[in-house]
Amino acid sequence: MEITALVPLVRRIVASRVRDAATVDDLVQETLARVLAAAGRIEPGMLEPYAIVTARNVVTSLWREQDRQRRNQHRVVDLHPSEAPDADVLAREDRDAVSAALRRLGERERATLLAHEVAGQDTRSLAAELGSTAGAVAAQLNRTRARLRVEYLLALEATDPPTDRCRPVLLALSSGDRRRQREVDAARHLLECGFCAGLSQPLVDRGRSRDDEIHVAVRADADVVAARQAAREAGARLGFPPTDLTAIATAVSEVTRNVVKFAEAGEAVIELLEEPRRGIRVVVRDVGPGIPDVAQALQDGFSTYAGLGLGLPGARRLMDEFTVVSEVGRGTTVTMTKWWGER
Amino acid sequence: MSSGPRLFSILKQGPTLIASIHTALDDSQLERFREDLVDRIGRDRARGVIIDLAALDVLDSFATRVLRDIAEMARLRGAQTVVVGIQPEVAFVIVRLGMDTGSLVTALDLEEGLEHLAGATLPTAGPHR
Repeated sequence: MEITALVPLVRRIVASRVRDAATVDDLVQETLARVLAAAGRIEPGMLEPYAIVTARNVVTSLWREQDRQRRNQHRVVDLHPSEAPDADVLAREDRDAVSAALRRLGERERATLLAHEVAGQDTRSLAAELGSTAGAVAAQLNRTRARLRVEYLLALEATDPPTDRCRPVLLALSSGDRRRQREVDAARHLLECGFCAGLSQPLVDRGRSRDDEIHVAVRADADVVAARQAAREAGARLGFPPTDLTAIATAVSEVTRNVVKFAEAGEAVIELLEEPRRGIRVVVRDVGPGIPDVAQALQDGFSTYAGLGLGLPGARRLMDEFTVVSEVGRGTTVTMTKWWGER
Repeated sequence: MSSGPRLFSILKQGPTLIASIHTALDDSQLERFREDLVDRIGRDRARGVIIDLAALDVLDSFATRVLRDIAEMARLRGAQTVVVGIQPEVAFVIVRLGMDTGSLVTALDLEEGLEHLAGATLPTAGPHR
C-alpha cells in the first residue's frame, strides 16, 4: 500500500481527537513520517493497522505533553517560583495571566487569598479579622482558588468564553463540586462546547484523585473497545464474577456503538457504587440527533441501520437497571446499573 | 517478520483456513477481518474455515453479525465455517442478549473444529452442502 493512501485514514483518526487544524496537520505529518520510517520493518498488509496505532500514540503523547505544560503552569498559580531556567517569555505570559486572574477576583477574596498564600497568615487569625470562623475562611479560600484557576486559564486564552454557561461550568469543574456540576449539567456542556472542553482538561485532572469514576471519550470505533474494557476492569475491581463482567462489557459495547453510529461525540462515565449496595453504574451520553421514540428503540429488532436491532433492548436485558433519556436535536443519555450478586 | 501489532492471523492448513482473533477488535477491524478472510477463501481455495474466538471477551451484536456474514459468504464461496473457542461467559451473554446464532456451526475448540471439518469435507465426498 502506498503511504499516501493512508493520509485520509490518519487524518480522520487525528481530526476526531484534536480540534486545532494546524495541530492536526502536524500530527498527520508526524504519523506518516513514523510509518515511513518503519515501512521497511513491517509487512505491507500491516501498514494500515500500524498507521492507526501510531496516529493514536502521537495524539496521546501530544495530550500528555499539553497536560504536563498545564500542570506546570499551575505551579505558578500556586505562587511557587518555577525552578525551570528556560522561557522568560512564557514566565512573563504566565505572570500576566496570574495578575489578570487576580484582578478579576473580588477585593475581599483577593486580599484574603494573598494574605493566606503569600503572607502565610493562617485561617484562624484571618477568621478573627473577618469576624468569621476558620472553617468558613478555608471554604472561601477553596472557592477563591477554584475561581482563580478558571480566570487564569481564561486569561491565558486571552478571550472571553463563548457562552454564558461556560463560566459556571468551568467553576463547578474547578471546585470539584459534583452537585454543582450536575446542576449546571457540566458533562453535557463539555460535549457541546469545544472551548470549555479544551480548558476543562487541567481543571478536571486536578480534582481527579477519585479513582471510583472513570471517563472515556467516545467518538470513534476504537473508543467502544476502550469504554467496554474500562468498564470490565472497574467491575473486576469490585469483584464481579466473570459472567457479569462480560455482560457489563457487552452492554457498554452496544450502547457506546450507538454513540459512534449516530452522534458526533459522547462519553462513557463508569462509576463504582457502594450505596445502597455494591454495583457499577455506566452513564453514556452524547450530543446527537436524539431518539424520537425511546419506547420503540427499546423494542427487539428495531434498527435504523443494518444492525440486528438488539443494541438497546439487548443491553437492557444484560443490566439490572436501564434508563434512556433523550431529547431530539440535543442528545441521549443512557444510564445503566449492575448490582453485585443480583441475578 | 512482522514487528507491527497483529490483531488476527489467518493460517492455511491443507484445505482449511484457521483464523484466530488475538485481541479485542473494534468494528472497523472486524470488518477488515471479514474482508481478509473472505478474500483468503478464494485465493487459497479453502473448503473449510475455522474461526477461533478463544481470546475474545466480548461478542456483541455487531461482532455476531459479522460472524454470521462471514459464514454465509464462505458458504456461498463453497467453504464451511466452524466457530470455535467461545468462552462460557460469552455464550451466556449471547443467549441473554437474544442474538440468533442458529446458522453458525460451532465446536468446542480447534481440535473438535478440525474434526468436524474433516468429517464434512472428506476428499472422497462429492460437492458438499
